[in-house]
Amino acid sequence: MWKGITGLFTGKPSSREVAKGRLHLVLAHDRVGLEGGRLQEMRQEIAAVIARYVPIDSDAVEIQIETRSRETQLTVSTAVPAMAAAGATGRTRP
Amino acid sequence: MGRAIVITSGKGGVGKTTATANLGAALAQLGKSVVLIDADIGLRNLDVVMGLENRIVYHVVDVVQGKCSAQKALIKDRRMENLWLLPASQTDDKDAVSPEDMRKLVHELKLSHDFVLIDCPAGIEQGFKNAIAGADEAVVVATPEVSSIRDADRVVGLLAAHDVPARLVVNRISPHLVKRGDMLSQADVIEILVLELLGAIPLDEQIVATTNKGVPAVLDGKSVAAKELVKIARKLAGLEVAERETGRGFFSRIGRVLGLSPTPA
Repeated sequence: MWKGITGLFTGKPSSREVAKGRLHLVLAHDRVGLEGGRLQEMRQEIAAVIARYVPIDSDAVEIQIETRSRETQLTVSTAVPAMAAAGATGRTRP
Repeated sequence: MGRAIVITSGKGGVGKTTATANLGAALAQLGKSVVLIDADIGLRNLDVVMGLENRIVYHVVDVVQGKCSAQKALIKDRRMENLWLLPASQTDDKDAVSPEDMRKLVHELKLSHDFVLIDCPAGIEQGFKNAIAGADEAVVVATPEVSSIRDADRVVGLLAAHDVPARLVVNRISPHLVKRGDMLSQADVIEILVLELLGAIPLDEQIVATTNKGVPAVLDGKSVAAKELVKIARKLAGLEVAERETGRGFFSRIGRVLGLSPTPA
């Protein structure tokens, strides 16, 4: 909160805040034990699976690893085009 | 039957050995009988931090290899009752001892002492595995820096995998830098590592001087770091810890809300 206050004046986060952000990210990846390359591989495979059911842009599929407490959460998110969503009923399964 | 506590951190240079020496001395001052084991085979240091380097005859590898009994290898600290050191060997390497050896040795020492504190080497390889083998619990020492916390997190995961419960000591915290927004607060470190906090030791120049002399800082007990170390030792011993009455005023409450002051336990 303190850095929030100083941030209001300087527009920059404090080094403490930066350190915290970096740690959250680094630890999330450390805890999952996946190096960057393997993570991208997994992303592409998941994107390919989704694309079999819904027409999506495979490059827009994002993977996020986050930690809350000691729980690590892996989130895959992607935008589904409106057309696909509307026309999806009963016709998406090949 | 005593308790075996491993002092560990992953990263080197965060104050494990100094913490081990001081917590051992503080526990001895509380009337507990304490053995300190230097598990950093090949790079022994606990002896010089304790100021006992001139009295070494036998070491941990001699005991493991059956060259002498554990009791015979222990060096008594003459400054107080109830404190002994089992030094590491300076010439062997980590493979000279196995986790099973350590388990047996620690068990034996627990029969005759209230506390066995094991000073763990840096890293997570053989030396680490040896050091945690006989431990009932762990104290993870971390400084409020990205590299130290990252390594501590790795160690916390490994300790959990070995069913060793861990508690946290944040070392070398500078309230001034935290206030300025240039250092992680102890609350930040707790939030990231999700460990119970035993204490946060302030950055203290006097520790440099006492370590130079080979005297654990708690023996004179005047520095701010020494006071916190005594508090941590009391918590380890399960004794009441008197929270200071200062820090309950308006400004510290504000500070606490902002994450600057320690949260009351």
